[in-house]
Amino acid sequence: MTLALVRRGIVYLLLSIAAFVSIFPFYWMVVGASNTSADIIRGKTSLGSALLTNATAFFTQVDAVRIFWNSGVIAVVATVLTLAISSLAGYGFEMFRSRVRERIFGFLLLLLSVPFAAMMVPLFVMFSQAKLVNTFAAVILPTVASIFIIFYFRQTTKAFPTELRDAAKIDGLKEWQIFLFVYLPVMRSTYAAATIIVFMANWNNYLWPLVVLQTAENKTITLILSGLTAAYTPDYGLILFGTVLATLPTILIFFLLQRRFVEGMLGAVK
Amino acid sequence: MTRLSMGWKRATAVALASVSLFSVAAASASAGEISVWVWDKAFNGDTMREAGAIYTAAHPETTFNVDDTASQDDIRAKLQTQLLAGSTEGLPDIVLIQDDIAQKYLQSFPGAFEPLSDSIDMSVFAPYKVAAATHDGKSYSVPFDSGVTGLFYRSDYLEEAGFKAADLENITWDRLVEIGTEVKAKTGKQLLDLDLNDTGVIRMMMQSAGDWYFNADGSLHITDNAALKKALETYAKFYQADLVKPVSGWAEYTGAFTGGEVAVVPVGVWITATIKANADQSGKWGVAPIPRLDMEGSVNASNQGGSSWFLLSSSDNKEEAIDFFKTVWAGDKDFYQDILIKRGAVGSLLSAREGDAYKASDEFFGGAPVWQNFSTWLGQIPSVDYGTFTAEVDSAVQAQLPTIIQGGDIDAALQAINDQATQQMQ
Repeated sequence: MTLALVRRGIVYLLLSIAAFVSIFPFYWMVVGASNTSADIIRGKTSLGSALLTNATAFFTQVDAVRIFWNSGVIAVVATVLTLAISSLAGYGFEMFRSRVRERIFGFLLLLLSVPFAAMMVPLFVMFSQAKLVNTFAAVILPTVASIFIIFYFRQTTKAFPTELRDAAKIDGLKEWQIFLFVYLPVMRSTYAAATIIVFMANWNNYLWPLVVLQTAENKTITLILSGLTAAYTPDYGLILFGTVLATLPTILIFFLLQRRFVEGMLGAVK
Repeated sequence: MTRLSMGWKRATAVALASVSLFSVAAASASAGEISVWVWDKAFNGDTMREAGAIYTAAHPETTFNVDDTASQDDIRAKLQTQLLAGSTEGLPDIVLIQDDIAQKYLQSFPGAFEPLSDSIDMSVFAPYKVAAATHDGKSYSVPFDSGVTGLFYRSDYLEEAGFKAADLENITWDRLVEIGTEVKAKTGKQLLDLDLNDTGVIRMMMQSAGDWYFNADGSLHITDNAALKKALETYAKFYQADLVKPVSGWAEYTGAFTGGEVAVVPVGVWITATIKANADQSGKWGVAPIPRLDMEGSVNASNQGGSSWFLLSSSDNKEEAIDFFKTVWAGDKDFYQDILIKRGAVGSLLSAREGDAYKASDEFFGGAPVWQNFSTWLGQIPSVDYGTFTAEVDSAVQAQLPTIIQGGDIDAALQAINDQATQQMQ
C-alpha cells in the first residue's frame, strides 16, 4: 500500500517537473508581454503594468493587420493544398498495388533526411526563373507535397476498411467519388490532426519565407518577430507581446480540433 | 448530384484563389527609389531615413525605401542565398554589412558590389574603417558607425575604492586587474561580466595591437600571434583573480551592467544607448580609454563591431546612390551632429568631431566630453585585415575558452585553435 503511494508520488513529481518545464516558458512569455524590457532582463516573473505600452509600441512599429493577413493566407492556403495533395498521395500509395510502389515510397522517405538548407539555393534559382520570387506562391508551393503528411496518411489509410471501397465500387462510384464521399468523411480525424500539424508548420515557417519574401509588405509574422530581436537594444516587452499574438492562431486551431486531433493520433477510424 | 456540383464550385473557387496568389508580384523598386536594407530600426534604420530625407529635400526625384524588418542574420542569409543563386531580383540598392564580415562578401562574390573609391574620397573617413572594405586596391563601402571602444565604468564604485578618473587613463589590462581586485575588496562588486560564447573582448585586445587572426596572404596567424596569446592570457587573469560575473546571452550580458552588478564594461561605443536607458544611474558612469595590452605596439584604442554601407552592382540607381553617399555621408557634418544627438551614432567621418554636438559634455557621464574622447580614439584605432574566416576562427577560440580560464596552457590552446580553424576553413 505505502509502496504504491510512494510510486504514485514519484510519478506525480516527475510529471509535475515535466509540466513545469513545458509550461514555464509559456507563462514567462505571457507575463513578459506585460513587463518593461528592463524588468524582463532582471528576470521579473510576475505580471507588470506595461502591457498597454508594449501593445502600443508593437502596433506602431509593426503593420500588424497586413502581417497577420500575410501569415494567415499563406498558412490557410498551404494547409488546404497540402492536405488535398498529400492525402491523395497517401491514399494512392496504400490503395493501388504496383511493383515499384515500395521503392518509390522508400525513396520519398529517404528524401526526408535531406536538410532544407541544402535545397534552398537550387529552389531559389527555380522560383527566380519562374518569376515567383516575393510571392506567396513561392512560399506555399515547396511545402504542399509534404512527405511526412503523405507518410502519415498512408499509415492511417492502412486502417481504412477496404470493404467500404469495394461496396462503393459495386454501387458504381468512380475512384474520385470514393475518395471524396467515402474516404474523406471516414478519415476526418486524420484530416483534423494533419490540419494542426501542417498549419503549425506553415505558420511558424521561417527559413524559406525569409529568403524568398523580400518586401516588407509581404513578410510574415515570424520574420517580423525575428527582425525585432535584431536591434542593439532590443525591446523584449514589445517582442514578447508580438510573440503572444503570434501564438494565438495556433492555440485557437488546436483547441478547435483538439478532440479529433487525439483521435487522429491514435489512428481511430469510425 | 447537387452535392457534386457544389463540390466543383468550391474546388474552382479554391483554384481561383490560388491563382491570385501568383499575382502578388514582386513590387520591384521604381525608378528613382533607392532601397536600403538595415537591421535596427532605432539606430541604423532611422539614421538612414534621415540621410535619405536630407538628400530628397535637395533632389525630389530621388526617394528612399529603408527596410528594417529583418535581423542582421536574416539579411546575411538572404544576401548569401541570392548571390549564390546568381539572382539579384529583389535585392536592394544599398545594404548595411558589418565590417568583420565584409571581406567574406567581397572575396566570395566578386562583381556583386560596386567599387566606390574611384568616385568618393575615402581619406575623409577613419582609415581602419576604409581598410575593412578594401579589396584588391579598391574600397567598396561608405563607412557608417564606428565600433570605437571605451572602458565604461561605474564612477561611484571606483570612487568608493579610492580611484579617480585619471587612474584609468592610459593603463594596461594588467593594471585593470589590479584595480578590479581592490574594487572587489572594497565594494564586493565583480570587475566585469563576460560571456564564454563571445570573443568580443579578446578581439578588441588583439586589434589594439594592430593584429588579427590572419596574415596578409589570408593564411592563419594563430600560433605565432603574440597579441592573441597576450589577450588570452589576460582573459584568463580575469577569471583567476575571480573578477568575472559569468553571463550567457545578450540579455544577461547587458542586464549585469545595467543592474549595477559589475564595475566596468569594455565595449564598443554603440552600447551607450543601452547604458543611458537607465536614467536613474545618471552621473554614476564614466568612460575611459580602453586599456592596452602589456606589449610593444598595443595602443589605448580599439574597435568592436561597426558597419558600413555597400552598393550592389545590380542597382538601377547607381549614379544617384553614389551622389547621395558623396553629399550626405562623405560631406554633411551637420548630419553627423544630428545622428549623434538623436541616436548616439558615432559616424566615421573624421571632420565630424569639429561640430558642436561632438564638443558637448554629457551629464550622464559626469560632465565629461565623451564624444570628443571617442572621436579622438577613433582616429587611433589600428587598421587590421578582418579576412574571410573570422567567424570560423571565433568559434575555434570559443571552444578553447573553458580550458583557458581554468589555467590551461595557452600555447596548447593556440595550437588547438589553429587545428580546428584549419579544418573549418577547408
